[in-house]
Amino acid sequence: MNESTLFAITFILYIISAFFYLGFLFSKKSGWDKTGSAMAIAGLILHTAALIVRTIESGHAPFTNMYESLSFLSWASVLAFVIIDKKFKIPKIGPYIMLIVIGLVALASSPLMPKETAPLVPALQSYWLWLHVSVTLFGEAFFAVAFVTSIMYLSAKEVDKKDKWDSVSYRCVAVGFPVFTLGGLVFGMVWAYKAWGTYWSWDPKEVWSLITWFVFALYLHTRIVMGWKGKRSAVIAIIGFLAALFTYFGVNYLLAGLHSYA
Amino acid sequence: MKVLIKIFKVLIKFFTSIRLAIILLIILAVASVLGTLIPQQRSLEEYAARYGQLSGPLIRLQLTRLYHSIWYLAILGLLALNIIVCTLTRLSPKWRKAVRPHVQAEAKSLLALKIKDRFKKNAPLAAVQAELEKSLASSRYRLRTSEKDSRVHLLARKKILGIFGSDFVHLGLLIILAGGIVSGAASVRKELALKEGEIQSVPKASFEVRLDKFTTEYYPDGSVKAWKSAVTVIENQKPVLTKTIVVNRPLTYRGYSFYQTSYGWNWDNPSLEIWSKKKNDPAFLKKLKLKIGEKAQLDDKDQTSISVARFIPDFVLGEGNKPQTRSLQPNNPAAFVEGSRGGEKVFSGWIFVNFPDMDRIHATKETDLSFELKSFEAGQYSVLEAAKDPGANLIWIGCALAMIGLGLAFYWPTWEIKAVLEESQGKTEVIVGGIAAKSRDSFQSEFEKILASARRSK
Repeated sequence: MNESTLFAITFILYIISAFFYLGFLFSKKSGWDKTGSAMAIAGLILHTAALIVRTIESGHAPFTNMYESLSFLSWASVLAFVIIDKKFKIPKIGPYIMLIVIGLVALASSPLMPKETAPLVPALQSYWLWLHVSVTLFGEAFFAVAFVTSIMYLSAKEVDKKDKWDSVSYRCVAVGFPVFTLGGLVFGMVWAYKAWGTYWSWDPKEVWSLITWFVFALYLHTRIVMGWKGKRSAVIAIIGFLAALFTYFGVNYLLAGLHSYA
Repeated sequence: MKVLIKIFKVLIKFFTSIRLAIILLIILAVASVLGTLIPQQRSLEEYAARYGQLSGPLIRLQLTRLYHSIWYLAILGLLALNIIVCTLTRLSPKWRKAVRPHVQAEAKSLLALKIKDRFKKNAPLAAVQAELEKSLASSRYRLRTSEKDSRVHLLARKKILGIFGSDFVHLGLLIILAGGIVSGAASVRKELALKEGEIQSVPKASFEVRLDKFTTEYYPDGSVKAWKSAVTVIENQKPVLTKTIVVNRPLTYRGYSFYQTSYGWNWDNPSLEIWSKKKNDPAFLKKLKLKIGEKAQLDDKDQTSISVARFIPDFVLGEGNKPQTRSLQPNNPAAFVEGSRGGEKVFSGWIFVNFPDMDRIHATKETDLSFELKSFEAGQYSVLEAAKDPGANLIWIGCALAMIGLGLAFYWPTWEIKAVLEESQGKTEVIVGGIAAKSRDSFQSEFEKILASARRSK
C-alpha cells in the first residue's frame, strides 16, 4: 500500500476513534472509550506504516516540509496520548486530543500542503534532522496533552477530579519540558553550530522556542518553589502550549527567518 | 538610618528571591516576543519607511537590536545573579541534608506525614530492626541509624543526587550564559569569497586556505543536491590538509571551522557558446565559442564576422527600457551580439539562453543569419565562513549539565523513609514515615511493599 492510502485510512480511523470517544463523553458507557482507544491505536499503527513508507520512498526523514511535519506531529500526539492514557487512565481527554489530531491531519491533507516527496536540500542533509525535529515534536506532543488536561482542569467542577487533571498536567510538562529542551534547544544549537558555525542567531524560530521554554520554566518555578497549583498552573500550561504552537506554525507563516524550510 | 537599613534589607531580600526570577522570566518572554515582531538590525531607511515618526524612539530604546541591547543583557545579567544567589542559599542546607542528615526523627512528626505506618511485634528490638533494615536494603536504600534514650532511629534514603537536579540545571545555564559572553567577546568570523585557485588568509590565524575546486551537484529534477568546495589549508607555504567542505560538514583546523555558506558567479569573463543558422540554408550551422570582445569569422563567402559586446546573467529591462541584470544568478542569461561586414555594422541585438526562438536582432543590412545563445561557462566562487568560537565548548558543557540536571530533577526522585523503634515488655513498636517530593504514587507502593515484608517476618 502506498503512503497516501495508508494516511487516508489512518485519517478515517482517527475520526472513528474521536466519534467513539465523543459517544463515551455523552453516554458514559465504558465500552465506547475502549473502542475509541482501540481505533486510535489501530490508526497509530497504520500511521507508523505510512511514515515508514514515506521515509523509504523519499530516502530521508519524514519531516522536511509542512505536510510531513504535520503528519509526524499528529502521530507523536496520538502516541503521547496513548502513553499518558495507559498510565493515568484518562479516556475523557480522548475526544479533545483526537479532535486536535484530526485538525492536524486535515490540515496536512488539505490542498494547501504540497505532498510530493522532494529531494533533501543541502541544509537538511544531516542526521541532526532526525534528532532535532523528532525529539522537539515529541516534547510538543506532551505539551499538547498538558494543554488539554489543563483545559479539563479549568472546566471540571469536583475537587478530586480537578486534582487529578492538575497532577496529570504536571506529569505531562515533566515529560515535555526535558524532551523539548533537549530536542528543540540543545540539539538545535548543536546542529546550527554544525551547519552555520553559530549555535544561536536570534532567528525568530529560535527566539520563539526560547519563549516557550521561558513559559514552562515559569510553570515549574511557580509550582515547585512557590507552591502554585490548579488554576494558575493550568493557565501557564495553556499559554506555554500556545507559544509552542506559534513556534511550530506561526513563525513559518508570519515571520521570516533562517528556518525557511519547515 | 534604621529605615535605610530596613529598606536595604528588603531590597536584598527581593534580589535574592524566587519572585524576582519569575518577574525576570516574564519580562524576558515579553521582550523576546517584541523582538520577533519588530524586524531586527535593518537599515535606518527601512525603519523610517516602516514606522515613520516612531522609528526614532524605537532605535533609541534599542528595540531594533533588542537581543543585544543594554537593557536585555542587563536583565539576563540580573537573572544570572539571581540564579547564583538563589542556588547558593539553597545549596548549603541541601548539602548538609545529603552529607550530615538529621537521623533522630520524632515519632510525632512521622505520624503527621501523609505516608506512614505503625505496628507492634512480639519480638526484641534488635530482631525487628534487622528485618526492617534487610527489607530497606533490598530495595536499595542507604541506611543510617542512631540510638537515643533506648529508642533506635533509622534513616533510609535512595537517589539522594536527585535533590541536586535543579542545581545542575542552574549551573549549566550559568555556564551557557558565560559561553555566550565568551562568544560575544572573542569569536572571530569572516566570510571568504574564493575563486577557484584563489588563496586567502584567515583572520588572526597563521594559515591560509585555497579553493581548489567548487562544484554544484544537482538532483535529476534540477534542484541543488550539494555545493562542494575542495579546499587546501596552507601553512608556512606548505599544503597541510585537503578536504571537501559541504553544508553540514565543515572543515576544522586549529580551532577554526570553515562552513559552506553561499556561492556566486564570477561574471568578469564568461565564455559563450553561440550557434548561428541561416534561414535560407537549413544545412548551415556554425558553432562558436566566444568571450566578450572576441571576434569570429562567420561565413567565408560574405565575410561576416560576429562579436559579443555584453553579457547579462539575469536579463531584465529597467528604466527607459535599458537592459540590466536583476541579480547575480544566471536566471535569464543574455548576450548582445554584433555583426559586421567589411568594417560596417550589419546587425546587432540580444539573444537568450532561455528563449532560443526569440531574438531582438536589428539588421541594418539584409541578412538571413539567426543566432542562438546555447550555453555559457563562467567561473564560480564559493563563499566560506571562517569561524572561531571559543565560547562554543562552554555551551556544550552547560547543555550537558542542564540536561543531566533535568534528568535528575524529574526522573531521579529522592525517597526517604524514617523510622523510630522502641521496645517495651518484650514487644517492639515501630513508627515509620515516608517522604517523597516527586513520584509519590510509586513511592507509596514501594513503601507499602517494604513494610509488608517487614511485618510479615516472624
